[in-house]
Amino acid sequence: MIETKNLTRSFQNGDVVTPVLKGIDFAANDGEFLAIMGRSGAGKSTLLYQISLLDEPTGGAIKIDGHDTHRMSEDERMRFRLNKFGYVFQDYALLPELTALENVALPLMMQDKSRTSAYAQAQRALERVGLGHRLHNLPSQLSGGEQQRVSISRAIAHKPAVLFADEPTANLDNESSRKVMDTFVELHKEGQTIIMVTHEEPYAALADRLIRLDDGKIISETKRRG
Amino acid sequence: MPLNVRIGFFLATRALRRASLWTTGLIIGVMVLTFLNLVVVSGILVGLLEGAVVAVRTQYTSDVIISSLNDKKYIENSPNLLLLISTLPEVRAYTARYRQAGVVEANYKTRKDTDKPNTANAMMVGINPAKEDSVTGIGGSIVEGSFLTPDDYDKVVIGGYLLKQYFPVETPGFTTLENVGVGTKIRMSVGAVTREVTVKGILKSKVDEVSMRAYMVDSQFRSLIGRNDGNVAEIALKVAPGADPRAVRDTLLARGAGINAKVQTYEDAQPKFLKDMITTFGMLGTAFSSIGLVVASITIFIVVFINAITRRKFIGILKGIGIHGRAIEVSYVFQSVFYALVGSLLGLILVYAFLVPFFYAHPIDFPFSDGILVAPLGTTLLRVGLLVVTTVVAGFIPAMMIIRKNTLDSILGRN
Repeated sequence: MIETKNLTRSFQNGDVVTPVLKGIDFAANDGEFLAIMGRSGAGKSTLLYQISLLDEPTGGAIKIDGHDTHRMSEDERMRFRLNKFGYVFQDYALLPELTALENVALPLMMQDKSRTSAYAQAQRALERVGLGHRLHNLPSQLSGGEQQRVSISRAIAHKPAVLFADEPTANLDNESSRKVMDTFVELHKEGQTIIMVTHEEPYAALADRLIRLDDGKIISETKRRG
Repeated sequence: MPLNVRIGFFLATRALRRASLWTTGLIIGVMVLTFLNLVVVSGILVGLLEGAVVAVRTQYTSDVIISSLNDKKYIENSPNLLLLISTLPEVRAYTARYRQAGVVEANYKTRKDTDKPNTANAMMVGINPAKEDSVTGIGGSIVEGSFLTPDDYDKVVIGGYLLKQYFPVETPGFTTLENVGVGTKIRMSVGAVTREVTVKGILKSKVDEVSMRAYMVDSQFRSLIGRNDGNVAEIALKVAPGADPRAVRDTLLARGAGINAKVQTYEDAQPKFLKDMITTFGMLGTAFSSIGLVVASITIFIVVFINAITRRKFIGILKGIGIHGRAIEVSYVFQSVFYALVGSLLGLILVYAFLVPFFYAHPIDFPFSDGILVAPLGTTLLRVGLLVVTTVVAGFIPAMMIIRKNTLDSILGRN
């Protein structure tokens, strides 16, 4: 479970301080599929970066499964990201010199798995998203939709506690977006916790709960399904 | 293998394997040139003098040189010493030389009484031609005419530095013979004795002691200088392959050869200025090499820095998905080591398979020596090690600078 209390994040440029998050109280339960929406500059991606430990808040507290993230060292945060979280970025964020299989296997190897075991696990993750025939292709040899599915495979291959997705369909056509969202729904059905930032209503509608942000604050919270 | 090293190696091999061939070629090219700068520049500087040292050793002193004491004109009791030398198994060949300073004169037949005689001061040397050639091979340095034979009567081989056409130097007090070639008659004066001889050959060498001499068959030279006791002034010894000249010198000294003569190895006989120059040139070579090393480290620093800057986003992503910063640093270190090792390996092949044999076969024609490329394997490997260590440091620092930047800023490209 992820919980934030009065979370704030400001950016300073010279003497100018720009507050982006202005006191967010938020909780995500295990197994939940949560969508965060809001107009540009509302602070939705910034919120995602705070709770996924990619950034450090200016104030407030974040607790993940009871761990106060403020007390974590950079090494502990790195290990948390490696073992407990999975990330899907808007621009896929694949390493261009690694094949699809290597991109997915890399975090598994960092978990001290042998190369054989990491490759086998990575192959299963890629086959699951329908890319069993693209294992040895470099990202430059894949379409945008395929690259995003490789990115999802990398995020789920180690069975993370939480899958974070930052506008995963923003760069994709409708067909590819639908495939990505089908994968998310399927993963959620299997119990995967997903926190997704999106600006597309139809995809947000697939989530259990929708949180709307504006001007750095939560302005509404809607439960969509049971 | 530690985890970060394993991951670093994995990332490095992929980055190298899928890098642009042009970029990789360019970096390796820079490393090869750096390696050559490290090894060849100092190697040529040292080789310039080494060529002189080798020439003195092969053409004049050989491995061990025995010469008269400073206050004596000849080595007393030479026949017994020669007998002793002939019994030493480590000695492969030796040559004994009679030696006395004198004057050679050229235009004595045509000049008027008022003309200045065309003379040159020379060291007259009496040799056994076959024995001399077997030790120093100076017969191979004849550029005109031919070398002496035991039956030659009133014939000389004259060093090139005594002839104007081979040594056109206008130094006050130093004169050379003009219009003298093979077949020309010249006068040799040693003390009060003067003899007319014919030039049989002209010998050209970059060793002063060889080129400033006039050579004659020893039996005739003895009569010229009026010596019949068999005492010579110099004995050059060539040791057998594998034998140590220092051991031969020590044996001779232990057997009493030092009482009547100076016994020196070719190294002992090197003039002090030459030893000082070798040290100085070695230091100069090291200084130039150090500059090369600094240039190489800056090059690698820039290459890795630009590489890391342009890949900053991916470095951020790696850190974001949980890859340890140390593993990413290690990957850059591996890449730097790869560039340094491949560059050095190609450099080693170039140096030992091409440049060293080439310069050995075609020495550089310096005025005072035939320069070769000196690249002792031990020193070269030490320089390879230095290059690798420098490259590792130069690759690690910029990688560390970029990797330490905020993860999210790197992912989003924020400053």
